[in-house]
Amino acid sequence: MRRVVVTGLGPVSSIGTGVTAFGAALRAGRSGISRITSFDPSGFPHRNGGEVRDFDPAAWLHRLPPERWGRSSQFAAAAARLAADDAKLDLDTVDRGRAHAVIGTTSGESVVVEAFTARLVEAGFDAVPAQLVEQLPAGRLAHAVSEELGLRGESLTLATACSASNYAIGYAYDLLVTGEADVVFAGGADSVCRWAHAGFYRLGALTESACSPFDRDRSGILTGEGGAVLALETREHAEARGAHIYAEVLGYGLNCDANHPVAPDRDSIAECIRIAHRNAGITPDQVDYICAHGTGTPANDLVEAQAVLAVFGPKPPPMSSIKSMIGHTMGAASGFGAIASALAIDQGFLPPTINWSHPDPQLADIDPVPNVARPATVRLVQNNGFAFGGNNAIVLLGAAR
Amino acid sequence: MTPLTINGLAALSAAGDRPEALARRVAALAGERHPGVPIGGIVTEPLPRAEGHALTDFDVRARLGRRGTSFYDRATALAVVACGDALADSGLTVDDTNRARVGVVLGTTVGSLKSTSDYTRETLVQDKPYLVNPMLFPNTVMNCAAGQAAIRHGLKGINATVTGGPLAFFNALRYAGNAIRRGYVDTMLVGAVEEFSAHRAWASALSPAGGEVAAGEGAAVFVIGSDAGSAGNAAVCAVATGYGPDGTAEQALTDCVARALHVAGAAPTDITLLITSETTSSGRRPQRAAALRALGGHRPADLVVSRAAGDCGAATPALALAVALGLSGHDDRPPSGLVLLTAQGTDGGVGAALVRR
Repeated sequence: MRRVVVTGLGPVSSIGTGVTAFGAALRAGRSGISRITSFDPSGFPHRNGGEVRDFDPAAWLHRLPPERWGRSSQFAAAAARLAADDAKLDLDTVDRGRAHAVIGTTSGESVVVEAFTARLVEAGFDAVPAQLVEQLPAGRLAHAVSEELGLRGESLTLATACSASNYAIGYAYDLLVTGEADVVFAGGADSVCRWAHAGFYRLGALTESACSPFDRDRSGILTGEGGAVLALETREHAEARGAHIYAEVLGYGLNCDANHPVAPDRDSIAECIRIAHRNAGITPDQVDYICAHGTGTPANDLVEAQAVLAVFGPKPPPMSSIKSMIGHTMGAASGFGAIASALAIDQGFLPPTINWSHPDPQLADIDPVPNVARPATVRLVQNNGFAFGGNNAIVLLGAAR
Repeated sequence: MTPLTINGLAALSAAGDRPEALARRVAALAGERHPGVPIGGIVTEPLPRAEGHALTDFDVRARLGRRGTSFYDRATALAVVACGDALADSGLTVDDTNRARVGVVLGTTVGSLKSTSDYTRETLVQDKPYLVNPMLFPNTVMNCAAGQAAIRHGLKGINATVTGGPLAFFNALRYAGNAIRRGYVDTMLVGAVEEFSAHRAWASALSPAGGEVAAGEGAAVFVIGSDAGSAGNAAVCAVATGYGPDGTAEQALTDCVARALHVAGAAPTDITLLITSETTSSGRRPQRAAALRALGGHRPADLVVSRAAGDCGAATPALALAVALGLSGHDDRPPSGLVLLTAQGTDGGVGAALVRR
């Protein structure tokens, strides 16, 4: 069977764009949280988010005209371009029909939907400009990647909410394993928007200033944004061109709670972990680090920890949340998790959970790698992603062998 | 590649909520365009035109009861009903012995544009921008319909939502085929849904290619598996999708059709019907032209389902497949041969599928 490797990393995030800046920020435990500027947050009791303040699409995009594409598509395309550059992949040497784009998202072109809505509230439907209508379809996130890199393979945007990047990486893995692809650009993208900020606030799931997963006093998420894309290749393809291999994708597992639209389900998540381990052919004792979904809501972190304990027993591997640094980047979240996981393996460190100050007696067996990155030999990482709709998705990455 | 058998189906459209209803309308129209019906009370906002292709009598409570359905938006309601009808048609009983092996993948364009836009609207027009209804928040997320279908029907296998507008159903077929062939599930409910709303009607009317066919709505869902015991059933023989950068979508579609023929081991002359996802009823038809370029000189019968069902976005090709399986052949014999379905999404996104009747 063909093997699948990670050869390029493309993060566009609030703590840094490009693998060098992002990796350094993860190690330093930097926060990307600031007061929201993309909409006026003054009417909200909570006003912080993880915006990519300095995002300049024209600085990264070679072929895509930014003005014709929404912000999430721009994030996806810029992240894919960064991943291709990081992989040192000369696309002219690639069979473009066997090069695919698979991008996950929660809210697609949410900023465009908000502009569409603002216009119809102001002046009616017939005043909405055609160019906004053209930018609405969520399928354009993957198309932006295909267009930017000139890929002729499948161009798929998966809309499985906050685990969508793991879905994308999983599907990309299958395309490569089954021989349908040589190269796949997989990950996710989403943008900060008013409606998600409002919705999470009203659900009681939005914290005020800093996100502190696994802390006793954690009180919710902060919405974030960005693009996170990985260049995946068959090992054969990567080795033939002498590419640097960050990590190997060992497999993934998906299942569905089929229970509640928003509340996480411990038993179902535990089952998803077991499915992922089985598909990847590994056992729990081999896992060195869990890149947690770790949203920072009281319920999510407790349920996730209980599911991990149910599978791993009383001494699970360290489990940190990078959402403490970048907020909840929705459909990009598990893509950033996968990038962090690949860097953990490649560079030998565990990203920290920052803003952590009080142990939670209910999470006594969980090591959240508090506040400071930790040097470690990391050979196998479990990257968790969970979502509304009970869409659980877990990807396993291993050291190159 | 082993074909995936179609073991059950459901189709809800403006022609009715039985799968054969739209096929009957298509046959009766004989290529002419249905004008649609007055939309009336299901939409309160102004519309670009008074007529559309909506299920004006659809009542989710009449179909599913009140429990669990009160926060459904229209797209979710249509999808959940269609999934239930398709399961019933397949005869598959879902219980604790198999529910982890049955999954769902649904295609969409942006989910429920009305749910999302209305939610955003509340943040603009309320006294405080956070005075939104938390119970409606999940409806703003595109996987709402597939997630609710899983809850309603107890389906714990792979649950996915794919986008792509008219291309989404082809994406869903590919996603489902992979999930089955890789052994992750035994059965997938595969479909697409689109709701009628003022938002969609305007988006359709304002889009560059839009306006000629009135907006419509519908949902079609197919129960597919690799069951050897269903050899006599219709089957999905090949699905190919691709992208044509730099304005090369038509060439990419020709390539997809050729690839689908290759995967299916079929000859162009095996194709008895070509169905495109076009929403134009006259003038140049680039999809048809692109498909025919892959068929040598062969010219199968062809059909544009949006003329009968309206512009149903992501649901159009799924409804088209239901029509193809519901049409009678010559002298009322069952239809035969391969159906070629094509779609073009936004930008360079294209797809083709070959289905054996």
